[in-house]
Amino acid sequence: MAGWLFVISLVVALVAVYRPFGDYMYRVVSGTRDARVERGIYRLVGVDSKAQQTWGVYARSVLAFSAVSILFLYLFLRVQNRLWLSLGMPQMNTHVSWNTAVSFVTNTNWQAYAGESALGHLVQMAGLAVQNFASASVGIAVAVALIRGFAARSNGQLGNFWVDLTRVTLRILLPICVVATLVFMIAGMVQNLSGGTDVTTLTGAAQHITGGPVASQEAIKELGTNGGGFYNVNAAHPFENPTTWTNWLEIFLLLLIPFSLPRVFGRMVGQNRQGYAIVAVMAVLAIASIALTVGFEVHGGGTVPQAVGSAMEGKEVRFGIPNSATYAAATTLTSTGAVDSFHDSYTPFGGMMPIVNMMLGEVAPGGTGSGLYGLLILATITVFVAGLMVGRTPEYLGKKIGAREMKLASLYFLVTPALVLIGTAAAFATGNNATALNVGPHGLSEVLYAFTSAANNNGSAFGGITVNTPWWDTALGLAMLLGRFLPLVLVLALAGSLARQKATPESEGTLPTHQPLFVGMVVGVTVVLVALTFLPALALGPIAEGLS
Amino acid sequence: MTLLAEKPPTQKAKPASVRGGLLDPQQLWRSLPDAVRKLDPRTLWHNPVMLIVEVGAVFTTVLSITDPSVLAWTITVWLWLTVVFANLAEAVAEGRGKAQASALRAAKQDTMAQLRDGGLIPATELKQGDVVVVVAGEIIPGDGDVIEGIASVDESAITGESAPVIRESGGDRSAVTGGTKVLSDRIVVKITQKPGESFVDRMIALVEGANRQKTPNEIALNILLAALTLVFLLSVVTLQPLAIFSKAWQAAAPDTAAIDAHGVTGIVLVSLIVCLIPTTIGALLSAIGIAGMDRLVQRNVLAMSGRAVEAAGDVNTLLLDKTGTITLGNRQAAEFVPVNGVDPRELAVAAQLSSLADETPEGRSIVVLAKNEFGLREQEPGFMTGATFVPFTAQTRMSGVDLGDRQIRKGAAAAVMRWAKSSSEEVGEIVDGISASGGTPLVVAENDRVLGVIHLKDVVKEGMRARFDEMRKMGIRTVMITGDNPRTAKAIADEAGVDDFLAEATPEDKLAYIRKEQEGGRLVAMTGDGTNDAPALAQADVGVAMNTGTSAAKEAGNMVDLDSDPTKLIEIVEIGKQLLITRGALTTFSITNDIAKYFAIIPAMFAAVYPGLDTLNVMRLHSPGSAILSAVIFNALVIVALIPLALRGVRYTPSSASALLRRNLWIYGLGGVIAPFLGIKLIDLLVQFIPGI
Amino acid sequence: MRLPNWLSQHLAALRALLVFTVLLGLAYPLAFVALGRLPGLSDKAGGSLVANGSVLIGQSFTDADGNPVAKYFQSRPSAAGDGYDPTATSASNLGPNDVVDTADRKSLLTQVCARSLAVGKLEGVDGSRPFCTADGVGAVLAVFHRDGLTGPVTRVVSVNQTGTPFLATYQGVTVEPAKNGEDYQALGGVITPIRGDAPADPVVPADAVTASASGLDPDISPAYAALQVPRIARERGMTEAAVRALVKDNTDDRALGFLGEPGVNVLELNRALDQQK
Repeated sequence: MAGWLFVISLVVALVAVYRPFGDYMYRVVSGTRDARVERGIYRLVGVDSKAQQTWGVYARSVLAFSAVSILFLYLFLRVQNRLWLSLGMPQMNTHVSWNTAVSFVTNTNWQAYAGESALGHLVQMAGLAVQNFASASVGIAVAVALIRGFAARSNGQLGNFWVDLTRVTLRILLPICVVATLVFMIAGMVQNLSGGTDVTTLTGAAQHITGGPVASQEAIKELGTNGGGFYNVNAAHPFENPTTWTNWLEIFLLLLIPFSLPRVFGRMVGQNRQGYAIVAVMAVLAIASIALTVGFEVHGGGTVPQAVGSAMEGKEVRFGIPNSATYAAATTLTSTGAVDSFHDSYTPFGGMMPIVNMMLGEVAPGGTGSGLYGLLILATITVFVAGLMVGRTPEYLGKKIGAREMKLASLYFLVTPALVLIGTAAAFATGNNATALNVGPHGLSEVLYAFTSAANNNGSAFGGITVNTPWWDTALGLAMLLGRFLPLVLVLALAGSLARQKATPESEGTLPTHQPLFVGMVVGVTVVLVALTFLPALALGPIAEGLS
Repeated sequence: MTLLAEKPPTQKAKPASVRGGLLDPQQLWRSLPDAVRKLDPRTLWHNPVMLIVEVGAVFTTVLSITDPSVLAWTITVWLWLTVVFANLAEAVAEGRGKAQASALRAAKQDTMAQLRDGGLIPATELKQGDVVVVVAGEIIPGDGDVIEGIASVDESAITGESAPVIRESGGDRSAVTGGTKVLSDRIVVKITQKPGESFVDRMIALVEGANRQKTPNEIALNILLAALTLVFLLSVVTLQPLAIFSKAWQAAAPDTAAIDAHGVTGIVLVSLIVCLIPTTIGALLSAIGIAGMDRLVQRNVLAMSGRAVEAAGDVNTLLLDKTGTITLGNRQAAEFVPVNGVDPRELAVAAQLSSLADETPEGRSIVVLAKNEFGLREQEPGFMTGATFVPFTAQTRMSGVDLGDRQIRKGAAAAVMRWAKSSSEEVGEIVDGISASGGTPLVVAENDRVLGVIHLKDVVKEGMRARFDEMRKMGIRTVMITGDNPRTAKAIADEAGVDDFLAEATPEDKLAYIRKEQEGGRLVAMTGDGTNDAPALAQADVGVAMNTGTSAAKEAGNMVDLDSDPTKLIEIVEIGKQLLITRGALTTFSITNDIAKYFAIIPAMFAAVYPGLDTLNVMRLHSPGSAILSAVIFNALVIVALIPLALRGVRYTPSSASALLRRNLWIYGLGGVIAPFLGIKLIDLLVQFIPGI
Repeated sequence: MRLPNWLSQHLAALRALLVFTVLLGLAYPLAFVALGRLPGLSDKAGGSLVANGSVLIGQSFTDADGNPVAKYFQSRPSAAGDGYDPTATSASNLGPNDVVDTADRKSLLTQVCARSLAVGKLEGVDGSRPFCTADGVGAVLAVFHRDGLTGPVTRVVSVNQTGTPFLATYQGVTVEPAKNGEDYQALGGVITPIRGDAPADPVVPADAVTASASGLDPDISPAYAALQVPRIARERGMTEAAVRALVKDNTDDRALGFLGEPGVNVLELNRALDQQK
């Protein structure tokens, strides 16, 4: 019961902030005035904040920023041992550095290292956390660019990446993080530069209590749907998630932006009901997924949970099973990947749900920005089929979905499944699945989870698998890189294509994209496409395990 | 369209009488050789989905030869049948066109052309600008305009209408079509076609679907289908290493026909791919397109491109000419309005007398009105001896009768008033009132006394208002085009229920109106026949030229209506929509079918390794072999079952988009989920008796 | 000199990244580090340290050999290093059907069974669980059928036991003990966990036999605390009521009545016990 109240309270809170926070974000991204700090930044960076960009320029800006970020982060990790606050940690090796750099720039935060034993404080703060901000902003910027494509009246302009990046970072992410950090510190998260404190336990043993600027990093890690833990055990660590209510707050933060962005969409296209339709799709999928995950976890399944009496393996007492399962669903429905419990030890079907959530393409509500643009792509595909069924050339918000639009949307839809399936198959074909901790179908699930997580930029894992080998680091790095930037470029190309179109006025013959029927259809298309794509692989993993 | 030989002239194409898509089973047989011929990969290349099925079929054939078994051969046969069925759908659709084309070819005999400058050359060698002479009994050698003379022409070869039509030089009835026959007189025709591009040539190409180009929506749909195909291909191919791993881990699992140490067997893998990729829509897609064009042809409309048909479904604004489309061609007397003090009956008598010899429809309607309202008997003109009828001329702008010293005149207000040398404010008011209401006032005067005014009205065709309401429901604005003044136009527009009107319309106005609509992102359809309509026809997204019109108009439009019926536009729009709906519905059906197939095939493949997966076998299919075979057979049969639907098109009733979506989603979405569960189970009940399955 | 477009774009990107690094990577966290030095916050920002550790970080209450120190409430099992090692935080990551022991490691099921048995022994209660043998390993058979997965049973091995099997016969076939290092799954056995007749609701609570997510879980469930009360009272010569009162004092209920689960902070509880003297 308390478990359901936990979920309901999250829903209520998200409903309450949808309008005010969405409206605020709308004003941020569509305002014309620059703050003084922002003007200073534009001058430093050397960009003209008034210049509009076509999709090509926008995309090149995104890619340039991301490329520079990856390179910078890679070098940072490679030389961290020589820097201030390294805590005596050695330099990170080449393949883990590559993997980590790509991981944080792509908003994935897959971690092939353990924070407390691999990284110093400086690289955590100035390397990783900066990307937590930047990658989140990039996602939102691209989503906003796509919305501009829908809203544009044939001028082909998508805004200015540098302005979007700066504004989203400074006016949306940073203020919320400042508040959240303070709250987290009050709850007991550590925020210091200490290399740790040696203590003697009650029974006389030695224990090394770690330190670090955790609270400030935790705030953006959740808000930006990044998920990279300061410590190896992520948000299960008492320093990253000390209380039952910080657990609630973390879930709230990671759902906040993705669930409110549809409001921005509605506002920008001038029809709030379109935003409601999109958020309804997200909500239906999310609530169903959370209910299933919690249901599966609470009701056991699998030999060990039956022996134990509940699925407590890999879960913290203070969070308990329902809240942990809620976190697991939320973190994989978004592109966060932070965990407060370990999915690998979940019941077979309970553990399948995070995989399925990611396979949905992380659209319910998905990552900051990436969730919205992913869902808009799915809505576009739905519009196409539905549009034909009402006897017109399909159009979404007055923009015709023609061959070019379908090509881009289809390619977008193809990228992630291709990466997941090819990656998983390659791991088995090359024998690299041997690093899985578990055997049989569960071992298969570990491999499938890894590629699903990487290609969808989630970052959570069935943690038993050992992935800091050169093969895994390279393969997952590629999956993350392609899984982020191919879709992103395709989205921008679609935005450009839409932005050049004149809008067809709405009429009785236009497919209404704000009604429950359409919402239901998008949900159906999303679920059916995913089921059809991944069911064979799932059948040999979690389904085989769950039905044994 | 059906041709003269097959169709009695009285049976004009009406939607109800069109043999829409009723599939003659014999036609399937007749098309079979064509279907087999289309197995050529070079032909199949344009249909990637079916090409993959064929490649799969070749692969399983090889496997069946190297490692024969009943299951392998049965599946192989059905895979080949799947491709054949798909080809059959296309062949049947084309076959209907081919029959028409051969009839058209018959009309296009080897004619010789008599050049005006002398010389006799074969019709095929005519160039643009050649001038030929055609006399009674001869076939017109090519498309062109009459530049001299007048003749009655039998155009039944292309229109199916046996009544001869008049073609004359100058004006809007100057176009003649090659292959039609001059019945009387002699005309001189200037050829306007390029060699080999005559109207009949284009018709033949069209009905045969020879150089059929994919329409924009078809291309977009093909992209989606290709993406789905690719994704399923990937999900099946990448399954193999996982299957090998699983089989190896579950060492206790025995080798089966579906899975062994090398993973899923080739036969089953191919079966799975074929069942998952959207074969249903892939097989029927081109048939749907061809059949859509065919449905237009059956309604005697020739679309110059599939693109135009599709655009018809998207039309937002329909420009309709008032006269002949919205209203009956002529105005009719509706009321006698006497001026103060005149007995209404006296006015009616005078009006009747003045119209007795007036054979125009307006004149006749006055006589009818007088009879209906005042019981005045119709009198033969000859009955009244000594009467002199004064005909209407453009100079006098009135007509009438002189009966001894009684001179009765009716006509335009100003003209009659001048003739009667009278000026009455009252008459002026009545005349203005009638004009304001959209009518035409005819003033009647006897000698120098104005008796009153006849109110002539446009009569809106029956059922037009309902039709326009329907259009509105579909989201289409109807706009009436008229030469009338705005006041008159507005009155008729209100009566007919159109959304807007364009009064005192010149060709330039029409063009400007279309451009304005298009600026706003709307698609515009219109009909036209005159040369001055040509620019507007060309500008419109859907321009339907009347076959009676000029060659310029026919060149400019992207459709020609052989019946020259302007209301046909509404049907064209519906056909366009139906075409898209059929594609969308079958795509939905095709994709939702996959759900059931998974429930058949996945347990069949893997229950041997993980017995728990048999839980997914919700249909309780007999055995892994029968399950896979049933899915493959269902997949093939559903193509055949849907050929009639593809040819006929999904039932379309004009309604709002959300109503349409709801209906089609229930039928084809939900139906697509349920049908294969039933179908596969049913087939399984049969195939389990095949020995060796 | 004008730079080529692509180069100037990358330079702009680099400048933007550097600006953000200074602003978000240094100014933002360091400001909060500074804030964390302020009285009122410094305690928590520093890690909620007390004399014997951090109240947020769990610890083992075992002696040098790893045996429970009986006068202390015991924490949950931990997969962090050798147990509660904050420099090697980890969960076990073992799956729900990890039931077969190998030469390298004990299966999760066997770990659960062994812990249950040990806790039962320590607290003097019944430590039996479903799917566990009386000697504290996973009750798992490898069943060989004539036709692989089906057909008559031909051979049965208790895969986690090298001694006397927990079951004499299975479907009429004598159960063999396992040989070390043999992979019976690979030999064609079907792995079959046996439920046994242990009560569905074991006496030893779930959190007592499972490793936490962090390996640093500072809490145990009130049920596990209650199970330990008699022992603590006995060892410390206190009344059970007094111990229970202390447990209650150190129990964090659900925040707002519905967030999370109630938990008993073991370090604080044990410290409170020590302060009783």
